[in-house]
Amino acid sequence: MMTFIRPRLRKPLRNALAGTVFAAAWALRGGNTSWLAIAIEVTVLVSAITMYVRAGEDNDEGALAGSRADERQKLLSIRSRALGWNFAMVAAFIGLSIAVAVKAAWWWPFLAIFAVAGFGYLLGLSNYGIAEEEPADDAGPRHPARSPAS
Amino acid sequence: MRNRVREQRTQREMSQAELAASLGVSRQTVISIESGRYLPSLPLAFAIARFFGLTVDKMFDPDEEEAGT
Repeated sequence: MMTFIRPRLRKPLRNALAGTVFAAAWALRGGNTSWLAIAIEVTVLVSAITMYVRAGEDNDEGALAGSRADERQKLLSIRSRALGWNFAMVAAFIGLSIAVAVKAAWWWPFLAIFAVAGFGYLLGLSNYGIAEEEPADDAGPRHPARSPAS
Repeated sequence: MRNRVREQRTQREMSQAELAASLGVSRQTVISIESGRYLPSLPLAFAIARFFGLTVDKMFDPDEEEAGT
């Protein structure tokens, strides 16, 4: 879908779009905090420009920001995201425990994070391999594999 | 796992950037492979070996690390 956009522009544009949606949400909310929408939009635009500049650098961060990562850099990104997600899970667990302990009404968002993470994990297992497991091939010295021709 | 990427590259008087461009990877990845910090995927290992006209087992030697450690 984004292939018609230059690789260096893809992530900065995506982030700018996401930030703009968030800023629009604050603007729609109205009230005396609507000034936050402008502040968020300015921050998002500065961040997107910074990302675009960094995407031109000759290093791992630049390659990832510029959507031109090779296999090692993609692996680096996947591992970093997994670590980030682990931190989020620990934070959600601590938040859930505290919310339950103080009988707070805001316990469910933490549980929702766990549910989404669990679903994503199972979806990942299903998509990336577990579902493709095949029965063991018993071919060996005692059970030689048969040729379709024989 | 030791490899002969640096040795082969310097024999051909190539820079890391030139090798990276030939293999379609980043210069940082060539540096990581040469220093042994990153083990390339099988397709990339074959591409490296093929580029230098060697076999994968001549290019990457798991036994050498065991001897060195």
